Amino acid sequence: MVIELAPRNKRGLSLRSPIMAGSGAVGYGDCWPPGLEPRYFGAIVTAGVTMRPRPGCEPPRVVELPLGFVLATGDHNPGYRRVIAQHADLWRRLDVPVILSLLGAEPGDRAWMAARLEEDDPGPAGIELPVPENANLGEVSAFIAALRQVTTLPLLVKLPSTRAAYLAEACVVAGADALVIGTPPPVVYPTADGTPLEGPLAGPMALPFTLRALRAVAALRLDIPLIAAGGIHSEADVRLCRLWGATAVQIRSLIWTDPTAAGRLVAAFADTVVRSGRV
Amino acid sequence: MTAGMIQVEATLVERRFVGAVQELRLQQPQLAARLTAGQPVLVRTGWGMVPYLRRTFYPIAMAGDSWVVRVPADGDPGHAWLRTVPEGSALDCLGPIGLGFRLPDGTRRVLCLGEGEAAWSLLPLVVEAETLALAVALAVEVITRREGIPAARLPPAVEYRLIPRDGGHGSERLEDAWGDLLPWADVVMAAGSVPFYRRLAEAIRDHRLLVRRGFAQVLYPATFLCGTGACLACVADVAGGRRRVCRRGPVFDLTEVVGMG
Repeated sequence: MVIELAPRNKRGLSLRSPIMAGSGAVGYGDCWPPGLEPRYFGAIVTAGVTMRPRPGCEPPRVVELPLGFVLATGDHNPGYRRVIAQHADLWRRLDVPVILSLLGAEPGDRAWMAARLEEDDPGPAGIELPVPENANLGEVSAFIAALRQVTTLPLLVKLPSTRAAYLAEACVVAGADALVIGTPPPVVYPTADGTPLEGPLAGPMALPFTLRALRAVAALRLDIPLIAAGGIHSEADVRLCRLWGATAVQIRSLIWTDPTAAGRLVAAFADTVVRSGRV
Repeated sequence: MTAGMIQVEATLVERRFVGAVQELRLQQPQLAARLTAGQPVLVRTGWGMVPYLRRTFYPIAMAGDSWVVRVPADGDPGHAWLRTVPEGSALDCLGPIGLGFRLPDGTRRVLCLGEGEAAWSLLPLVVEAETLALAVALAVEVITRREGIPAARLPPAVEYRLIPRDGGHGSERLEDAWGDLLPWADVVMAAGSVPFYRRLAEAIRDHRLLVRRGFAQVLYPATFLCGTGACLACVADVAGGRRRVCRRGPVFDLTEVVGMG
């Protein structure tokens, strides 16, 4: 049996493992740490892409916390055209579905990029749409609906974990195929030189926020696949997320900090799927 | 996969106390064989997930199946853990990261320039160049002489100048030293801060007219999170824009860091 993340979408999005590489965990599919291979994962989500290049914020970009860190890149990316030019061929060769994370500074940016992806065949297998922390219900509904009109690709809407339950139903109504729960809350902490660094929480410390949001969204019974993301580091974490309503999970910090442990984690669930004859 | 990088458990085989600093010898043949001067190793510095991020170490010596790192006597909890972990312990290491120093073909005279603690990362290069029978000079700018590399740690044939930053009575200034050394050198290898590299570029313009690509390689002072380029934490503003140090560096041509001319 294959895990289906977009059951209502005519294209579908089939995963052979419940473990996905979260947004930017392996860059644009070009940054693999030792011991990890694309085929181990159910899917990979690229780093975020904007319509035009963004230099991102100046260093320092990372500060450590107990059991985690703050990473603020300022959406640093080379822009849509360059990402497609440099990586689209690679995505076709990778033995794993690639989901492109689209970021948008202006209304219409993401729709513009999604419309172009529609013409790129075979392009990415889906689109992930991070919802900004401060977005309101109307804005979220409008931009998802706008994307739904221009693309048939599966839309995975990534919600801020602090507001996931509030926004979830509107996303489903507007056309989301799956919900990613979610972006950990933004925090601020001083770097070594005292500069305040603000960005989303990362690392194991983020897991309780993910679990709280996951339970709240699962309780809404929206009949849509949920993907847990944020702080997942162990088999126990994955099992808990699945028990509490997640169809799949995304890992990122673990891939960055301990590729061997990430390999053990994906192997554990790949084995489960294979042993049970569900592939 | 990022070329050459591996994750291994290295054994802490020796601990040396050098003042307040500790020097740890880590043994792991596969990683040792891949290391070149200027390439860091990321070390997990705790038994569990605290501290969560790896610490960045530039080896100060490489020999056969092992390498040596310096653990500063600072307040960092990861460094504190390393100062107390028993000999014989297995340390989780990820490396080598990025591109190291490369001695160009035909080089005969190598000038190594260091600033403070960063100068220690030049030691493997100094040893390598001396082993290749190249003429090597090392000049290190320090705040106090106590923080300099002891001359006894260098191969005997290396010309060594330890230069206090504030000059001091009768002391040579770095600007004076590279007036002698820059015209002599075929290639410069440097480790320090970006302002140090700007001073170096100025001196090269003064003594060799222009900063030519290929003349000077510099170690960019970065710390790393993932080492593969995915996390975008280790960026630097270099020629061509804001780039990932772990992919383009950490050793850059000087012209990439300070511009041409």
